[in-house]
Amino acid sequence: MTWLIIASIAAAVSLAAYNYVSVRRQDAGTDLMKEIASAIQEGADAFIRHEYRLILFVSVGIIILLCVLVSWSAAVAYGLGAFMSASAGWVGMKIAVIANVRVSNTARLTKDIGSTLKVAFKGGSVMGLCVGGFALLGLLIVYVVFGRLLGQLNPSHLEFHSNWLGISDIPFTMTVSGYALGCSIIAMFNRVGGGIYTKAADMGADLVGKTEAGIPEDDPRNPATIADNVGDNVGDVAGLGSDLLESFVGSLVSAVVLAIYTAFSSRDTATEISASLEDKLIMFPLLFAATGLLASVVAVLWLMMRRTSDRPHRELNLTTFMGAGITLVATGVLAGFVFKGEDVADIGFKAGALSPWISAVFGIAGGILIGHIAEYYTSYDYASTQRISAASIEGAALTITQGISVGMLSVFLPVVMLGGCIIAAHSVAGLYGVAMAAIGMLSFVTVTVSVDTYGPIADNAGGISEMAKLDPGVREITDRLDAVGNTTAAIGKGFAIGSAALATLSLFVSFLYAQAGSASRGGFDLMLNMVDPMTLVGGFVGGALPYLFSGILIQAVANAARKMVQEVRRQFKTDPGIMAGTSKPDYRNCVKISSAGALAEMKVPALISVLTPLAAGFIFGADFVGGLLIGATISSIMLALFSANSGGAWDNAKKFVEQGHYGGRGSDAHKAAVIGDTVGDPLKDTVGPSLDILIKIMAVVSLIAVSVFSKHNLFDFIFN
Amino acid sequence: MIRYYLTVSPVEALIASQLNPEAFGCYMAVGSRKGSAEQLIFVEVDGDCCDYFDWEFARERCVTHCDGRPKSSLYMSIYRVLEHVPLEHMLSMYLVTQDGRTLELNKSEYQAPSDWQGCALYKELCPATPLVASPLPPREFSHYLISDSDKVKVPAIVFADIRILGPDKLRDSGNVGTVSKLALDHIHDCIAQLTANPEKQVKTVDRSFANNFTYQTIATGIYASDSGGTVFYPMPDVDTLRRENYDWARSANII
Repeated sequence: MTWLIIASIAAAVSLAAYNYVSVRRQDAGTDLMKEIASAIQEGADAFIRHEYRLILFVSVGIIILLCVLVSWSAAVAYGLGAFMSASAGWVGMKIAVIANVRVSNTARLTKDIGSTLKVAFKGGSVMGLCVGGFALLGLLIVYVVFGRLLGQLNPSHLEFHSNWLGISDIPFTMTVSGYALGCSIIAMFNRVGGGIYTKAADMGADLVGKTEAGIPEDDPRNPATIADNVGDNVGDVAGLGSDLLESFVGSLVSAVVLAIYTAFSSRDTATEISASLEDKLIMFPLLFAATGLLASVVAVLWLMMRRTSDRPHRELNLTTFMGAGITLVATGVLAGFVFKGEDVADIGFKAGALSPWISAVFGIAGGILIGHIAEYYTSYDYASTQRISAASIEGAALTITQGISVGMLSVFLPVVMLGGCIIAAHSVAGLYGVAMAAIGMLSFVTVTVSVDTYGPIADNAGGISEMAKLDPGVREITDRLDAVGNTTAAIGKGFAIGSAALATLSLFVSFLYAQAGSASRGGFDLMLNMVDPMTLVGGFVGGALPYLFSGILIQAVANAARKMVQEVRRQFKTDPGIMAGTSKPDYRNCVKISSAGALAEMKVPALISVLTPLAAGFIFGADFVGGLLIGATISSIMLALFSANSGGAWDNAKKFVEQGHYGGRGSDAHKAAVIGDTVGDPLKDTVGPSLDILIKIMAVVSLIAVSVFSKHNLFDFIFN
Repeated sequence: MIRYYLTVSPVEALIASQLNPEAFGCYMAVGSRKGSAEQLIFVEVDGDCCDYFDWEFARERCVTHCDGRPKSSLYMSIYRVLEHVPLEHMLSMYLVTQDGRTLELNKSEYQAPSDWQGCALYKELCPATPLVASPLPPREFSHYLISDSDKVKVPAIVFADIRILGPDKLRDSGNVGTVSKLALDHIHDCIAQLTANPEKQVKTVDRSFANNFTYQTIATGIYASDSGGTVFYPMPDVDTLRRENYDWARSANII
């Protein structure tokens, strides 16, 4: 059934190419609009080029390490994963900076929200389709080249093999993990670098331009305004695309690896998994994802071809639900077809052939519920966020306090939901079901990324309309489109965090299998002894690690933002013509400062995620790393939910005030709400999205390296 | 060409300038070097409109700089300036935001408020700056302050009428900025005192509201009065501002 995967990739990539060309062909508007758009394009291109050069340097190091310590196939797969992830981020950013000005121009020419929505969504869909298409394309190459052509999926190769260092592993698990690691590393750099960039620019523009000089949002007199718009593209587009591609690949790889280890441990037991069933367990996640990708293509086409209303939220929700609905039905049929006739009761499938599908449905339902809980806590349509706005009347301290409260409250229900999802998925299809639940959450990732990417495109379009002095009616259209993007982004984050937890759990189980090595053959009790001091201390350290990581990230944003604030102040002071509108600010310098700040600050947090499990493993051994992973996963999920939801709530609480509540713009409540938003900015756009990548990188690195450090570590060397 | 501007807020002064009103407003709001950000209200006045000021001094000194730059400002007088400028020589009024955007308000004949509620909140802009409540409509209010009927009086006055927000309206107030900062209970107490005591014509709500006055708080417009009469500078409604003065309205946090 490889044809299904090929067909889905071909459909997605073709539609992405068509939409790319179709958006590019549209008129970019007036000369001033083109000039502004060109400045944004230049800034985004320059940053991505510098960032990718840095990533190339790091990646070459990782490739050499993988080649020496693990296998050349894992190293090549890593390179492929990095290439796919980087390409998706680059293409997505490229189309975003092409689409933004065309969205603005469509609003200018048509004055119609439906037509403008279509252009923005078309632009966003290029990113969504590339995320789904490129992720699967890479996996397909790994599957066909390494699995089939080089025989790593032949039954004789699905055994533990030793490399030249005497380190044993199942080769294909290392190859696909290498692929996942490549995607994760790019995602980490894009998320961290983009997050620092965008928040430094945003804070510089707001703190000096808006607060000190009193100039409105996106005013061309603000030197940081172009950098702010560039930040939307490198952070919210390239960062988000790589992030969700990594989540998608992570969930698929976790299921594939788990299937291989489960099958291996069943060897020589009464319930041994047959070669044909093992093959199906390996292929099913890919087929499931391919079906979801095809369903997403249909949903994207549906929005593009129909006459859209002037209610963008409804249109985008319909598209998302359509993608989810088709995926649900089609994957149900697929599951029945794939596992029909197989004896699946022995592998813990309680509902027959449909078991993995039911688990995936739990995942989809869990993802949607987590997303809606996030929406409840972050949208200004609900009491939670409105309470933060009301608290702003009493001053910034209460805005912060109330926001922290909302952020903390917002953690409990999603975690319960996640727990329910794990238990339900596990009870139907065992641990494989948990992995399938993660895949279910992301099966229509193409649609969710399309909708998420549409947001920053609409935001940029609003900025261009403002800077190009277009009719206020144009700005109203882009503002309405942008407002919808804020809500959809919260739901997308729910999927990313939820799937990260489930995928990490699956990877963790694979880690335990890999730790046992060939001893797991013939049945193996999966157990992590939490009262073992090594594991327990690992858990403590793992629990603290996300705080260390987040602290470094926030410090990085603060450092970069400080430089931006100083530069904006300097420009206002040295050139009075900027405020008078008689001379142009030096936008390029602000872009350079944001870029240099992000590039300088992104290395440490990105390297922490790779080096911590390695350092812990080589010093304290595998049990410590087991605890480290559990501690980091639990702590990261909580902190990610807190960061994303508190930051989102502060942002929307400010927007609620700006809509004319509690005195509206210019009131004391507004000033307090702006402070809350500024505090929340690095939390929601830098820390929150990076944490789910952190735990997956740690899990994949641990999985790849466990066979090495379980045998060679300092602690064992000294005491045993 | 020399223009003459009477600034009424934040300081009372007569300034000669070679700049047009927009450029003058921007210059005064954001400065030329130190990067200030200050809201400003001024009125353009006819030259030679009275004998009180030294117009010749202005013509001599308000000249282009050696490098060709126009002279931005030459202070001709500060303190007790307004009382010497006849109303008929006042031209348009300009409201300047702290980022230097200027809105022109055209002068019109005084019109009695169409929906008079029996009480109003007035922000005096010049020469004094308190926020007061009064049961008098704008013209009667200014005549009361200018006439000899009270010991506290001024020779001329510029003031704006301010929106009154009900205590229950705060949540959905609209963009009213600092109106929401006012102690609403105190305002309504002041109004209640005026209603209970018909003899009382003015009740001070806030002795110094200068730093908190923003354009969002203006209800119908700005009035200028002297013993000869009252002129009115009507404030455009939000839709008009959005349509015709979008940039200014955004800078003034009105939209």
